[in-house]
Amino acid sequence: MIEMLKLAEETAATQGEFSLVSIDPNTIVFTLINTLIIFLIYFLFLHKPVCKILDERAAAVNKDMDDAQKAKEEADKVKAEYEQRLQESKDEASRIVAEATKKAQQRETEIISAANDEAAQLKKRAEESIEKEKKKAINEIKEEISEMVVMAASKVAEKEISEKDNEKIIDTVLSQIGESD
Amino acid sequence: MATDLLKTAAEFSVKGPIWSFDFYIGSWHVIISESIIVQWIVMAVLAVIFFILGRNLKVHATSRRQMAAEYLVGFFRNMVRDTMGEKYNKYTAYIGALFCFSILNSLSSLFGFRSPTSDLSVVAAWGVITFVLTQRNKFKTGGVKGFFKGFIEPLPFMLPFNIIGEIANPVSQTLRHFANILAGSVIGGLIYFALGQIANGLGAIGLPAVLSLYFDCFSSFIQAYIFCTLTMAYVSGADCSED
Repeated sequence: MIEMLKLAEETAATQGEFSLVSIDPNTIVFTLINTLIIFLIYFLFLHKPVCKILDERAAAVNKDMDDAQKAKEEADKVKAEYEQRLQESKDEASRIVAEATKKAQQRETEIISAANDEAAQLKKRAEESIEKEKKKAINEIKEEISEMVVMAASKVAEKEISEKDNEKIIDTVLSQIGESD
Repeated sequence: MATDLLKTAAEFSVKGPIWSFDFYIGSWHVIISESIIVQWIVMAVLAVIFFILGRNLKVHATSRRQMAAEYLVGFFRNMVRDTMGEKYNKYTAYIGALFCFSILNSLSSLFGFRSPTSDLSVVAAWGVITFVLTQRNKFKTGGVKGFFKGFIEPLPFMLPFNIIGEIANPVSQTLRHFANILAGSVIGGLIYFALGQIANGLGAIGLPAVLSLYFDCFSSFIQAYIFCTLTMAYVSGADCSED
């Protein structure tokens, strides 16, 4: 086989060209070198930068998705917190209203009972003063009557009566009047 | 007239790659063939394309250029991940470079060059790479023991067949790629020749374009794809690790 190759090479050398189906070590070696160079060019100029960009983009997309997820969780947390606070405020408000209502009712009963007490007191005082006035009036009437009696008696008797007799007479009259009451 | 055509058809021939220049380094006769020259042109084009696509990339992409770059790299990434699995991600760059290099080498025939991929030596070099990567992966995943054990499985008498199988894989892959592209260019040459003979060039409008679409464009793409897929399959298939 090697002899055949040598023969082919010799024929080629004389003709300045290779036969249609031939293996030439020179071409193989140069093709290997060329392929290596093309590999390096492809790798350095295109493959590496593009892969870098693709990886960076994938990382950026992942990061954005993670961020979005995180933001969503955060929002949910805040929302839950606000809802809880809102609920608490509502509870507080209703509690305050209930307390105020209770206080107002208490106050109402207090005011009413105070008013009742005062009214009772006023009534009692009024009754007392009426009683007093009544007594006073009776006494005044009694005095007036006694004076009138004295005057009438003195006019009727037209005579001097001693002080002692006078009093005696008055008492008698008065007792008579008192009995006639 | 038919005999005339046959007579002239006998003159038709497809030639191998010519020597562009040759020189000696000591006793080493260095021959730079047409294939290598075309490869250098393709490499320059690819380098410019890769450089333009790969610069000024932004995380928030808006430019079509970056879309194209990401699509290209993403295509190879998915291809390698789907065929070889997540643990072989580091092969992505080689597969991508090989795919681009192979396809542009084949497509160079559209610009009047002789496709480097229709030169057996060029594709054989890639076959050698596949072979080396396969054996390396076998050694790496199985260790010395696993490497040699793989040859006597399932039974020791299978040893010769296993050895042949290991060599046959890259050889068949190489020949498929090389022969498809070469056959395409031979058929293309025949069509041009025949049409030129029949209609004095008038019929050469339309039909060659359709055939060229298949034998040059489609075939170039499909052969590059098959070669890369087979490389991935052989390399990941050599995995001896037990998981």
